[in-house]
Amino acid sequence: MKKICILFRSAPHGTTKGREALDLALLSASFEQEVSVVFIDEGVLHLLKDQQPELIGGKDYLATLKALPLYDIETVFACKQSLGDYGLSHGLLSIPVTILNDEAISAHLKLVDEVLVF
Amino acid sequence: MSKFIIQVNGPAYGSSASVNALRFTQASLRSGHDVVCVFFYQDGVYNSTDFNLPASDEYDVVMGWKQLAALHQVSLVNCVSAALRRGIVSQQEALENGLSHWNVQSSFIMGGLGELVTGIESADRLICF
Repeated sequence: MKKICILFRSAPHGTTKGREALDLALLSASFEQEVSVVFIDEGVLHLLKDQQPELIGGKDYLATLKALPLYDIETVFACKQSLGDYGLSHGLLSIPVTILNDEAISAHLKLVDEVLVF
Repeated sequence: MSKFIIQVNGPAYGSSASVNALRFTQASLRSGHDVVCVFFYQDGVYNSTDFNLPASDEYDVVMGWKQLAALHQVSLVNCVSAALRRGIVSQQEALENGLSHWNVQSSFIMGGLGELVTGIESADRLICF
């Protein structure tokens, strides 16, 4: 078992990065890895609730974020600075996340075996 | 000596990711390291098409991957779901879906994300491009 951290750095919908990151996160967890998820930079936009990607030809993969606990992915971090940059206050988020500053995120990345950036 | 798994996320043309990954893989093998496999995910699956036709004076990175696989017996594994969404199809998927064409030959294997995860588990280090 390895500690795998999936880092969401890109905004949803404009590219498929976020969707393929989430696929990998869930699959890694189902393969009994210790998975953590971090939302940072534009990646925090994944957390904005009530998005309707079907209206622009996308798939609502953001709904799958709610399944993270079902896959035993309990470590879900979001960058405090990035949330502030995009005006995302707690009430606008779709799932429970732990909000961390840069230093704490950096410390987490040092604790895991592999970091995959999407 | 270390055991690496290489992940390629960039296409054959339009990004330097694939060439950088190929050169890193070649250098690793030359230095005596092990490469568990090279896993192609996201736009990286575009490296497996046989229909890339670069101009004759340009470097052919797809050919580079094929030669590396043949020379060193390294498996080149595509994420099949990423591939099918991008029109990257092996003969088997073509037959299963009633298509008369396919563009992935035997140098690249179609596999699942599970192969990436088990590869990460068995390797010392994952290197992403």
